[in-house]
Amino acid sequence: MQHCMPEQLALAALREPLPAEDAAHLDSCGACAAEVASLQRAVDAVAVPLLAAPGAPVEPPAHVWDAIAAATGVPAAATGVPAAADPPAGAEIVPFRARRRPLLLVAASVLVGAVVGAGAVAVLRDSDDGVDAVQTVALDPLDENDASGRAEVVVRDDGSRALEVQLTAPALDDGYYEVWLIEPSITDMVPLGIARSGTQTFELPADLDLGEFPVVDVSVEPLDGDPLHSGVSVARGQLES
Amino acid sequence: MLTRSRPRLGSVGVVDPGPARNGAPGPRDDEIAQRFAAGDESALALAYQRWAGQVHGMAVRAFGPGPDAEDVTQQTFVSAWTGRAGYRPDKGPLPAWLVGVCRHKISDTWARRDKQRREAEAAASQLQAGPSPVTAGVDTAVADRMLVLDELDLLGQPQRGIIELAFFEDLTHAQIAARTGIPLGTVKSHIRRTLERLRSRLEVDGAALHA
Repeated sequence: MQHCMPEQLALAALREPLPAEDAAHLDSCGACAAEVASLQRAVDAVAVPLLAAPGAPVEPPAHVWDAIAAATGVPAAATGVPAAADPPAGAEIVPFRARRRPLLLVAASVLVGAVVGAGAVAVLRDSDDGVDAVQTVALDPLDENDASGRAEVVVRDDGSRALEVQLTAPALDDGYYEVWLIEPSITDMVPLGIARSGTQTFELPADLDLGEFPVVDVSVEPLDGDPLHSGVSVARGQLES
Repeated sequence: MLTRSRPRLGSVGVVDPGPARNGAPGPRDDEIAQRFAAGDESALALAYQRWAGQVHGMAVRAFGPGPDAEDVTQQTFVSAWTGRAGYRPDKGPLPAWLVGVCRHKISDTWARRDKQRREAEAAASQLQAGPSPVTAGVDTAVADRMLVLDELDLLGQPQRGIIELAFFEDLTHAQIAARTGIPLGTVKSHIRRTLERLRSRLEVDGAALHA
């Protein structure tokens, strides 16, 4: 008797019913049955309810997006809003980070006027290494902190911008430093990333208006998985627009 | 022969987006996909708004509502974004690709749980009876699952769309032909070749894993 066509054996591996003649042959032919079994290993590995195509959608809780935004550095624009509006590319910063500790942040804003400014110096320099430093600002310690440093906005030849932060700060036993750009009222802010004592470079979102977020802020963040600003700032400087 | 522009090869389009999706027209799906691939940050937010429900629905079905499902959804979008260089808009719709990423995350989470369970069982049986036949190794099915998902990522279209409809939507080859407009004979031969390819991958890498 003739063996089944390879195509039929593949369908059998997917557990499709075969035409009667093929089914009968398969029942009695060890070689064809072995072929089906060997093809079926892949089918059995993934053709399981666990991985089945999406069924009923379930909206995830809001903190899932917050965590994604924090992990990717993408501004948490327009979350929780029905998908009606197309947020203007890269320009929308919602104040979700500030909601949690408004009092601390507002209190801190008083300090900005008092402390920042004196150290701010604008420096222009010619490009000799493919980047232009368009502005340099001193990061002055807040309160009685030991952290200080310098932040420099650089523009590369391709037009992309970055913030180079040189930080001098004591090592933390339990937590880390994070760099933010904050608007003058200390309500909305953009997280740039994690910093340590030394020099590091943070990419600036292409459409970010530094005039809108001129305050360079260094915070101490506990290792608690909370992407929000801790409210504990140790150094600041203000870019001039 | 089919071209990749056939509708619904991705498997996600099957889901009714539901009434919550708004009446106002946002950017089209393919426009979001292009912007996502190009690294436009607003496209990540748009993709999340539009498809997080489907991804999270899968995660919840796999693990129930709670932290595991939320981790899967979070990891899916984070790794889709950081790995966006691996997404090609001309190879299929973004939601289908996101679902593929989600399958990897579900599989990873499942493997981790499985390993923890085995280790716990091994520890328990050691306490009871000294040496035991229970091993804390990776289960063959778990390893196979990862290898097959990995190989699916390497398939071109329409092969990938066809086998995904068979695997994940449980369609027969006739239903797949009707759904995609690909001739019946072509569907059958793609299925055969893809299953053979997956078998080779399992025999080579699966054997290496368990040697």
